[in-house]
Amino acid sequence: MSDSYQPIDPLRPDLDEGTNVAQTHGAVLADNAAISRERRVRENGMEPVSLWVIVSSAFVLLVAGAVLNAGGGLFNYNEYRVNGYVQRDAPGVGDSGPATAPIMDALVKNGSKVYSTCSGCHQGDGMGDGASYPPLGGSEWVTGDTEQLAMIILSGVNGAITVNGRTWNTPGGMPAQPLRDPVQLASVMTYLRNSFGNSTGDVVTPEMAAAALEIYNEKAGGSPTPPQVTEAELKADHGKMLSGEVMDPATVVDLETFQPVEAAGAAE
Amino acid sequence: MATDSDTIKHADDDLRPLIDRSLRHPVMFFFTSAAAWLAVALILGIVASAKTHAPEFMGNVGWLVYGKAYAAHLNTLVYGWGCQAAFGVIIWLMARLSRKECRNPGTILLVGHVWNFAVLYGVIAILSGGGTGVPWMEFPAAVWPVLLISYVFIMAGSVVQFRCKEGGHTYISQWYLLGAIIWFPWVFTTANILIFHFNGHPVMDAGINAWFKSTLILLFFVPVGVAAAYYLAPKVTGRPVHSYALAQMGFWALAAIGPWTGMQKLAGAPIPQFLPYVGAAATVLFFIPAVTVAVNILKTVAGHASTVAASPTLRFTIAGIFGLLALGVMGVCLNFPAGLRFSQFSIAGYGFEILAIYGCFSMCSFAAMYFIVPRITRREWLSRRFISWHFYLSAYGVATIVICTIGGGLMQGAAQEYWNMPWSDAATRQYAYGWGTTVSWLFILFANVFFLLHLLLMWARLGRRSQHPTLLHKHHSESPHGPEGDIDEIQAANA
Repeated sequence: MSDSYQPIDPLRPDLDEGTNVAQTHGAVLADNAAISRERRVRENGMEPVSLWVIVSSAFVLLVAGAVLNAGGGLFNYNEYRVNGYVQRDAPGVGDSGPATAPIMDALVKNGSKVYSTCSGCHQGDGMGDGASYPPLGGSEWVTGDTEQLAMIILSGVNGAITVNGRTWNTPGGMPAQPLRDPVQLASVMTYLRNSFGNSTGDVVTPEMAAAALEIYNEKAGGSPTPPQVTEAELKADHGKMLSGEVMDPATVVDLETFQPVEAAGAAE
Repeated sequence: MATDSDTIKHADDDLRPLIDRSLRHPVMFFFTSAAAWLAVALILGIVASAKTHAPEFMGNVGWLVYGKAYAAHLNTLVYGWGCQAAFGVIIWLMARLSRKECRNPGTILLVGHVWNFAVLYGVIAILSGGGTGVPWMEFPAAVWPVLLISYVFIMAGSVVQFRCKEGGHTYISQWYLLGAIIWFPWVFTTANILIFHFNGHPVMDAGINAWFKSTLILLFFVPVGVAAAYYLAPKVTGRPVHSYALAQMGFWALAAIGPWTGMQKLAGAPIPQFLPYVGAAATVLFFIPAVTVAVNILKTVAGHASTVAASPTLRFTIAGIFGLLALGVMGVCLNFPAGLRFSQFSIAGYGFEILAIYGCFSMCSFAAMYFIVPRITRREWLSRRFISWHFYLSAYGVATIVICTIGGGLMQGAAQEYWNMPWSDAATRQYAYGWGTTVSWLFILFANVFFLLHLLLMWARLGRRSQHPTLLHKHHSESPHGPEGDIDEIQAANA
């Protein structure tokens, strides 16, 4: 059959079946009822394309263009990361608790800033100018008893003072330094004792500095400008270490309060 | 001429049943085994879905842990149900449209068995822990060449029929069918070779896998569904395709866009950064072929509301077309960068796949089966109610799954933005949606058990012998199955 078979309209597939079931009953009804019912597939629809299809497709094209644009250079196989793809922090992220550091590092770092007040006379290298201002590096006043050092800083010095075997007698002496914050005082003292060749390896804690300020205030008796101390006074009254708990220089402290923090927080 | 024309008409009326007869065994084999695999896939899907919100469910059954059940669910759905349903539709539709009988039904039937055994072996391998862990490609690496060779034997006849057809014209469905026939081996072979046999970078392998899933949907399942719709809607209504120019535009748009999709799954991964963006843009653009096809089919059946309501074929076709439209819209919503953040690592991707495979492709395939099976078995569908239940449970079930997985996926994606929270918080957020998905899969399983039963009865040639199709009208005064068989009466009268 198929050899002699010629479709009615070779341009259109599967469309030339009789829609009139009665006409084809004789041939196909009994076995092929479903097939007899079939209608033609016609494809010659020439309706205009709806405007909405075009408009919505154009909109989607714009969206896709924006997406492509966000991707940066096309076919650039060397660019692996989009700028700004890193996600925003969730609320509260990045607040990893108070900053901490070993107390020695913290005080020395802070003290080097406070020292800018001193470096005008004692010079940046802490060795004085060799004429009027005595050196701090190698000075027994600096590396010796901490109470003496605290009093020199807080009260200033009047008259001659012997440093490293040489007598220094600067006119007017050393002026008192207006340091009233225990942390600042402790910082600069620790800095002096561990810089310019000095290495006592201990720290003057803020607690000790507070004790020094107490001694100073007691001595001043409320006067805003108490007299400067003399070498004799220093040796007689202040030849001792400041009271206070001695801290290991490696102790990790909170940089706000200078109190030791938990070991867990010290991991960094 | 009138007599010649009549003769040819009679000859053509004879040809159609010959084509159907030649293909009846392979097509029925593919349809019934596909429906059986679908039932398996649905049961596995229920187990997998239940584990997302009730982790202790069947928790001590080693071969059904989530990773195995979920993988087996998707692989049976794709290779057991999807591919075989597509094969049945393709070989029948291509033969009918090319007007050629099938010359090698025995080979197709034999190779169809090979395909089924390969899928069975693969599923057993997955459930016993031998899966590859590559989504949609979990079958052991030895299975894919078997599937590919089987595929070639199944499809070769259809390509020959297309090549040898008389007349130079190609109907729009044939474009889609031929596209699907050619794209499947390209996508399948490329992905399998690159992932399993080339020693590529694993991150790029993940990208290739995402491309495979996306292109298998857009270049195989969607075209087969669309081909069926373009055939069935004009066929059942008797109207021409609304705009043939639009139909061709839709085909070429899909052909141009489809291959670029998929890589957006890897946005932010260390692969060349334009790849995910091209994938996202192409998936957004998929809206254009989707809306083109949808408008064309819907306008073709416009004004035939009662036909759509009455004909099982047309009803499923239109449902599938709405699925296609939803797929196009979802492609836009989930893939522009603001949406991608939420969909990329959530169950929204699964929702998109289920919408494509069940909501679009399967509905169109059911439509084709409701059309084809009465023709090749020469029996009418037995029960109007089975068809109605199948339709309503399927349509509402898949709609609920898509809403649950995409809604739940977006919730999950939003929760994942808080990356310093435990990930289980994000998983917990989709528990309620997981419940919805599980219950919907149950409904769909219920629907398809009826469908499988119905199909097996038809396969056993226990369908109604009647001139009257099984329509979804209510016949209060008649039997619940429509007018009873009258073939015997007519034959008696003719004799």
